[in-house]
Amino acid sequence: MTEEQQLKVQAFLDGELPESDGREMAAWLASDPDASALLGELKNTRSALKAFDSPPSVKLPESREFYWSKIKREIERTAPATAPEPKASLFHWFRRVLMPLGTVAALALVGVVAIHTFSGGRHPMPMAANVMLGDPGALTYRDDAQDMTVVWLSYPAENKFAEKSSSDTLSPK
Amino acid sequence: MMRSGLLRACFLLMAAALLLPAASIRAQSSGGIYGSQSGTTNFEAQLIWGTNEKQSDPKLKPADPKLVEKLQKSPFKWNYYFEMHKENFKLKLNEEKTVTMSRNCVISVTCLKDEQVKFQLIGKGKLANTVTQELPKGRLLITGGDAENSTAWFVVLKQVE
Repeated sequence: MTEEQQLKVQAFLDGELPESDGREMAAWLASDPDASALLGELKNTRSALKAFDSPPSVKLPESREFYWSKIKREIERTAPATAPEPKASLFHWFRRVLMPLGTVAALALVGVVAIHTFSGGRHPMPMAANVMLGDPGALTYRDDAQDMTVVWLSYPAENKFAEKSSSDTLSPK
Repeated sequence: MMRSGLLRACFLLMAAALLLPAASIRAQSSGGIYGSQSGTTNFEAQLIWGTNEKQSDPKLKPADPKLVEKLQKSPFKWNYYFEMHKENFKLKLNEEKTVTMSRNCVISVTCLKDEQVKFQLIGKGKLANTVTQELPKGRLLITGGDAENSTAWFVVLKQVE
């Protein structure tokens, strides 16, 4: 049986063939056992599929909310009780407090040793000049190579500490 | 056993971290400049005038060449530097001394611990600036500012023998 003949059997079953073709098909089905068997098989399949077209509705014996609340209660009942908070022991306290402190101390120790190693016991960085005054115009210049610190005051020239043309400034007192 | 060893190590590290800086500070302060046998420290203060113009006044005394070299390597450079006044003085620890450098310029120096000095600049009787910093031997503390006609003044403080 060709595929075209099989499709015609399917069309016959679905009632899609014209009346004249239908009569021819009926005669052919009566004479051909294979075609007749295919028709029977297709009928069975269609009847089986029809059962799924309207599946039986499952009705819950109780409301959805009540159904889920029961599940929730069951979960809560069967869940193990929350483990009690372990009593803080002295060791735990030591471990929590002293281990970070020990780490910090170790780092500090390494830093101090490094400073002493590389500076030969002297200040590795000389203390920066501490300029104190309500004078935002003061500029501090530090030159360690020249071993000097210059604090430059941006006072206007008329605020003279040292004025060449004036006898009471740069000139010896 | 292992836990107690760990705790002991933590304690030892903490103790070392606390004790070592303290020992270091003590060693430095005992060897500081102000721990000299006489108990006093000698300072020298100079009033310097910097100008770019060549001066013909024979009364002007050129500044110390070493100081000039240092100043000319700084951003505050002038062609000529003249020493207008120089004052030497001694200070004990925590002692304060006021030195008149010119009629308008007075300085006040206090000898502090750990090689530090407090330097105050007083202009026309008014406190103009305070600097507190380390001043070991060989180091210069210079305060400066603009003067008339694009010149400059400097007060140089240093420790001397």
